[in-house]
Amino acid sequence: MDLIDLIEEKRFIGQEFLAWLWFKSEERGGSIELPGRGDIQVAFEKHMLLEYGEGPESEKLICRGLQTELREARAGLALGKKPEQARIKIGSDEYEFSITLTAATMEFRSVRLPKTAGAADGDGDDAESFEGQVLERISLFEDGIELVNELFRLFINIRASTNWSDELVKIRAWVHSGAELAGM
Amino acid sequence: MGLLSGSASFTRFTVEGEVPENFWDFVAQRVTEHSFQDIDDTIDEHSIGWVSVVDMFDSDFAFSSYAAGDYVVLSMRVDERKCSPAVLRKFTAKEESRLKQEQGVRRLSRNVRLEIKERIRAEMVRKSPPIPAVYDLCWNLSDNTLLFFTNSRKALALLEDLFRETFELSLIMQIPWNNALQLTDPATAEKLADLQPALLI
Repeated sequence: MDLIDLIEEKRFIGQEFLAWLWFKSEERGGSIELPGRGDIQVAFEKHMLLEYGEGPESEKLICRGLQTELREARAGLALGKKPEQARIKIGSDEYEFSITLTAATMEFRSVRLPKTAGAADGDGDDAESFEGQVLERISLFEDGIELVNELFRLFINIRASTNWSDELVKIRAWVHSGAELAGM
Repeated sequence: MGLLSGSASFTRFTVEGEVPENFWDFVAQRVTEHSFQDIDDTIDEHSIGWVSVVDMFDSDFAFSSYAAGDYVVLSMRVDERKCSPAVLRKFTAKEESRLKQEQGVRRLSRNVRLEIKERIRAEMVRKSPPIPAVYDLCWNLSDNTLLFFTNSRKALALLEDLFRETFELSLIMQIPWNNALQLTDPATAEKLADLQPALLI
């Protein structure tokens, strides 16, 4: 199967991952326990794109807002829409990434890295200092990817296991509570 | 927005294929062979190649290396002369009108109109300065992954071709499906093939 077909046929995996991640982060008040790493903060914010249907008949719902509680997006889930893109804050207080993650291709958009000591852009002109800055930036990007990968691994392991049916019951209850929040 | 500063958007790839033992010599030779060639003083319409991530004018890597620890860091530079459709329509219509008046005819044949359009396009493109676009990448040699700092479909396609021509290696985009197969154990990966979309309501 070529890549375009694979993206289309398996896009539900990325969509369900975003929906699960959203549910999971709200289930424990904004944190998720990662095996071997402990609790990390995961918060959905500002921006979410949901889709319903496929191809030319698909409907899109964009929810944006600085202090938004994403009520419209929660209501959209209750109407059968699935998240296609979400802005997520992830990490800890001192070490936080902001990432817009897409479901179909898992692209990382508008990634904001944690602030680190001595991270001022453009410090030092010599080759060694430049190489140090590049390696520090790359290491931060890779840390962000690793966090997302660990969350994705957690999801996939549940999704492919017999525990998924229990998880799905909880997700559906959460989706329905979102519809009530939105007054549906 | 890219590898070196500010917020960044990127697409992930894995690199597939065998790299030679004398890797850095190989990279030096191939990057030089496929470095960016300036077309400012030519009439070429398009140029693509590698430049330094620090300076888009440094295609000799005189001031900074593409090697950073266990990573290759490069920028793909694409220069293209373009003619906007509105400008092309305007000058094509103008030339058609001039020719009709000169020949005293009401209509021009389809072939003549196509010839005019192509000639005007070539003239306009020659007159326009090349528009540059620069996209950073970092290639992690220890795990053969690559981050390409854009989500533009056109740029991704250009990268896959340039990377293959330069290094004779393939890039495989990391979509959720590929990623899932890599992150899980073989038994779980086998179960993934049977998954169907779930109803969340």
